[in-house]
Amino acid sequence: MKLTIKRLIAFCILLATALHFSFAHAGEGVFGWLYTLDLQPKGKLEFEQRLQLNQQQSSGTYDAWTARTELEYGLTNDLQVAGYINSYYTNANQNYTNPEACGDTPTCTGGYGVPSSHDPSTAYRKSGIEGGSLEAIYRITNPVTSPVGVGLYLEPTWGRNKDEIEARLLLQSNFIDDRLILAGNVVVANERLKFIENGNVPESMMDFLVGASYRFAPKWSAGVEARFHNDYSELNLRNQVQRATFVGPNMHYAAKDWWVTGAWRYQLKGGTCMGGGEAECSNARVWDSHSVNEFIVKVGFPLN
Amino acid sequence: MNWKPNPFVIAGLAMTSAPIVAQAKIYVSIEQAQKIIFPNKVLTKAPILITGDLQDKMRSASSIRHPFQGERIWKASDGGWFIVDEVVGKHEMITYAVGLSPTGSVQSIEILEYVESYGYEVAEANWRKQFVGKTASDAIKLNQDIQNIGGATLSCKHITDGVKRVVTLYDLALKQAHSK
Repeated sequence: MKLTIKRLIAFCILLATALHFSFAHAGEGVFGWLYTLDLQPKGKLEFEQRLQLNQQQSSGTYDAWTARTELEYGLTNDLQVAGYINSYYTNANQNYTNPEACGDTPTCTGGYGVPSSHDPSTAYRKSGIEGGSLEAIYRITNPVTSPVGVGLYLEPTWGRNKDEIEARLLLQSNFIDDRLILAGNVVVANERLKFIENGNVPESMMDFLVGASYRFAPKWSAGVEARFHNDYSELNLRNQVQRATFVGPNMHYAAKDWWVTGAWRYQLKGGTCMGGGEAECSNARVWDSHSVNEFIVKVGFPLN
Repeated sequence: MNWKPNPFVIAGLAMTSAPIVAQAKIYVSIEQAQKIIFPNKVLTKAPILITGDLQDKMRSASSIRHPFQGERIWKASDGGWFIVDEVVGKHEMITYAVGLSPTGSVQSIEILEYVESYGYEVAEANWRKQFVGKTASDAIKLNQDIQNIGGATLSCKHITDGVKRVVTLYDLALKQAHSK
């Protein structure tokens, strides 16, 4: 069966509904993309479903949907492990305008997921299961009882389009009866892209994520988060090719038995490409896997 | 992408959210807690005005920012006090009651209302009995003289700080009222 975005959403809702009626209880992520140190307690299992849409590049159409179906488990109160299945749906058509990418034509089809072999004058649509990831988060200090919570995150990913190893330093401080959360992540990753050229193209990236979330009413939190993104054309952060900044709001609702988070990130103008990656930039923004708008919805259900 | 709301999607969302009207997990009512902590004692409601200065001092002693409400205070016929307070939980407020002896030491605490995913162990007698005998001169601090429950750290911390502010209330206001 072909995976379409309607089927993807319908599946997410069906799964969420089924789990909601089957189980009780909630852990949670108050930010869209930032990780906090709110981990599953020892022996607790949680189901989480994410759906992200990266929408709009330089022109035409660019809709990149990614879904993540995840199980999280607390091995100890300070060590959480998780595994997830990643799926995607990419719909790109005449979304690039940079002459280095498009040559003599004013627009062409390109971006993350579009293979080098694809005819850039035609639309590209593809969906499927991307692959899987494992994840471990170790909390060194707890922000509820320490001025600064510190944690380490490691996530290997195996996928159809890329393999990746990602590490994060997680930082978090809580204020005002733990209702105000300030958080930061330092993200570094080495990647091997499989959908272009010889199927083994190295890349690396470093992101700084910062955000604030305030629980303004029982069950409800809202805040902002920003991403300072850097991409490199070689492993281990060598030869920078992209720099971009994203910022946007988030909203979170949590009850005893479930939680949901929605967030939007907007790419600010001022992004730049360099070091041979110029084809991925136009209109003062960075493309490739990035877009003008990024939306994410996550729902979580504790299972025991 | 043209987004046309699909009735099935809306129905699905409604199904997921409809039964999620939080079922408050109430351990005991105020009346039940009064009978548990002060059996066979007559309790008389004795609200007090919490001035800004008193609120500040209680905040400073306990680090709790959520304001204390002075209308849920009862005086027992033996001179003890029964105080209901609430602190911030992970999702909702945690309501609890503290019974103080006539000299201001903690006689007992009861969790009245707790609506969280985890951490229901805070209502267990073993954890609550750590507070018995504590007074305003004690630290009443998580991981110092009060042990934490792994996986319920936020609830443990806030209830612990809450008990600290209740004994501080006695020390700063109720003691004087008692001596009058």
